[in-house]
Amino acid sequence: MIIVLTAGLVATACALLGPFLIVRRVALMGDAVSHAVLPGIVVAFLIFQTRAPLVTVIGAAVFAIICVLLIEALRSTGLVAGDAAIGLVFPALFALGVLGIQRYADDLHLDLDSTIYGEIAFAPFWTVEVGGLLLSRSVLTMAIVVVANLALVTLLWKELKVTSFDPDFARTVRIPPRWVARILLVAVAITAVTAFESVGAILVVTLLIVPAATAYLLTDRLWVMVAVSVAIGWVSAIAGHRAAVALDASIAGAMGLAAGAIFLVALLGSPQHGLIARAVRARRRRSALAAAFSSPTS
Amino acid sequence: MGPLIDLLPLSYTDSVVALGALVLGIAAGVLGTFAVLARRSLVGDALAHSALPGVALAFLITGAKDPASLLVGAGIAGLIGAVAIVGIERTSRIRPDAAIGVVLSVFFSLGVVLLTYIAAQGNAQQAGLERYLFGQAAGLLERDVNVMAALAGVAVLAVVVGLRPLRTATFDREFAATAGLPLRQVELATSALLVVAIMIGLRAVGAILMVAMLIIPAVVARQFTDRLAPMLVLAGAVGAAVGVTGAQLAASAQVPTGPVIVLTGTAAVLVAVLLAPRRGVLWRAGARRAERRRQEAAALLIDLETMLHAGPPPTESELCLACARPVRPMRRALAGLDRSGLIERDGERLRLSAQGAAAAHAAIEARAMWSAWLEHGASLGITDAREPDPRDLRGSLGDEAFGRLQRLAAGGRV
Repeated sequence: MIIVLTAGLVATACALLGPFLIVRRVALMGDAVSHAVLPGIVVAFLIFQTRAPLVTVIGAAVFAIICVLLIEALRSTGLVAGDAAIGLVFPALFALGVLGIQRYADDLHLDLDSTIYGEIAFAPFWTVEVGGLLLSRSVLTMAIVVVANLALVTLLWKELKVTSFDPDFARTVRIPPRWVARILLVAVAITAVTAFESVGAILVVTLLIVPAATAYLLTDRLWVMVAVSVAIGWVSAIAGHRAAVALDASIAGAMGLAAGAIFLVALLGSPQHGLIARAVRARRRRSALAAAFSSPTS
Repeated sequence: MGPLIDLLPLSYTDSVVALGALVLGIAAGVLGTFAVLARRSLVGDALAHSALPGVALAFLITGAKDPASLLVGAGIAGLIGAVAIVGIERTSRIRPDAAIGVVLSVFFSLGVVLLTYIAAQGNAQQAGLERYLFGQAAGLLERDVNVMAALAGVAVLAVVVGLRPLRTATFDREFAATAGLPLRQVELATSALLVVAIMIGLRAVGAILMVAMLIIPAVVARQFTDRLAPMLVLAGAVGAAVGVTGAQLAASAQVPTGPVIVLTGTAAVLVAVLLAPRRGVLWRAGARRAERRRQEAAALLIDLETMLHAGPPPTESELCLACARPVRPMRRALAGLDRSGLIERDGERLRLSAQGAAAAHAAIEARAMWSAWLEHGASLGITDAREPDPRDLRGSLGDEAFGRLQRLAAGGRV
């Protein structure tokens, strides 16, 4: 129950931001952040000599923000395309992290698995007491992140929308596209880092991309896209959990596969953009053409 | 590779690693160029992640951690991932980055599920299977390097032979399609070549750092050339240089090779992005500054000429006062004019030298002609829209149009 709730909240937080990443063509920002946080974890460990979650998350968040801002800076020079900028920045940060681990923390088992690649199966066991109530820590933190993202998206809805689709027009109406992009990316970085700690990196990367890409196949309206992404996120979380329990497999992996299955269904069956709908339209067009040519009308 | 290893002035292990990095750099540079130009730089990321289910399946089938079969498994899974990416892109409105992301996350999820399944089987050998993705250059054997070199040779040869269709498919898809080029096959072939590059890199630097190895040489080369063939050669050379330098640095500092190679490459990218002639950030800033200085100097010459025309030669402070500009840039411009001998000093007072007077008249003329262009440009009736260069109006408009503009400026009719 706690597991599904945690995953659902992560899915909601990701689905609020994912659609903007898709329409801005930087879908892989989440993946970049998942690798770029490694030096942050090492540095936090070196400074504070602890693997306490809060310290680790803060260290990771700092490097996640550095990562997204570096990508944005490199992209804005106009010399490097956006996707290449992503692929230049995160491996460099990851390489720094690997070197740091080898140099200073090799004997301390400070590896990815135990720190940032959290395991969703453990979510129910971490609890905090708030006002006499025993709450799951990951549910609590993810609920806070969801509220923050919801506030960000509703408050900056107009700005996010206009800078995503028409940055030149945004500039003429005095909305600075670069600042909006930075705010969005920092939100993505913080969401990703807090969610990594609860459910593991790969599930966060998946939930940022796949539900939003699926929704992109289903609708042309941005707010519908966001709503559909949230719904798909929840469905993947519930179905993935069921499947994982039934098959005794990794919960995060099963949720990712569930999201992938929904994407496949949408790819084939989307009423507007799906393969089947397109094939049907193409066939109708062909038969209409054939009819027009064969019938002897004037 | 035997004779080459003997040639290098290094210990045997170091030369094997250096040669491996060299081969990897060349292959990644040449093959990555197409991915970067097609805005699909992160295809390497997806293919690297898709290797995980391949490795897991290969292990499930063979039941042993045999490097060769794991590599084949990774390669096949990478190919399937590449086909899936091209398929999603070609059949739907999903754009490359999202297609890459979807394939990456779904394949990696599958890999994670397979790994838990393997763990549940209780085969003692399974420990550290995911480590396979991280790579260990220090563990490279001469045999590995031979295999890598053969693969890289085939891949580079394929690029050389197929350069024409590859170029057309990269830069002008519409034309390629109308010219009857089998676009889908070409795209699949480029993806397959990328899979080969990643298989080469998987052992040497690991999957994640391989992403950067595909991008770094292409981005560096792109800053220095606008043409594909020189860019391919340059990217191969940059990849080789980065690989060998990184391997050497890592060997001398006793740290893992992969990260050092990637960081060396990142440094190369930074240098190129900052300093590349005409494109680099610092280069462009320098050019802008030089242009601003030139304009300041021209404005000062015009003001001085005007004052000399109206009255006695001004002092430096009178000149500053009269032309109402910030003092510091004015003094800088004055010093510059002094150095190039355009002004003469008569005690406190300033005059133009003969050369300076000529320069001032040229500046006044240029300014007048620019105003004339802004005022009468539309009535010149130049059929193609153009944005002339203010520094060389005659050159940008052509002699004939410039002559008519001069007559218009003088008040005559065309």
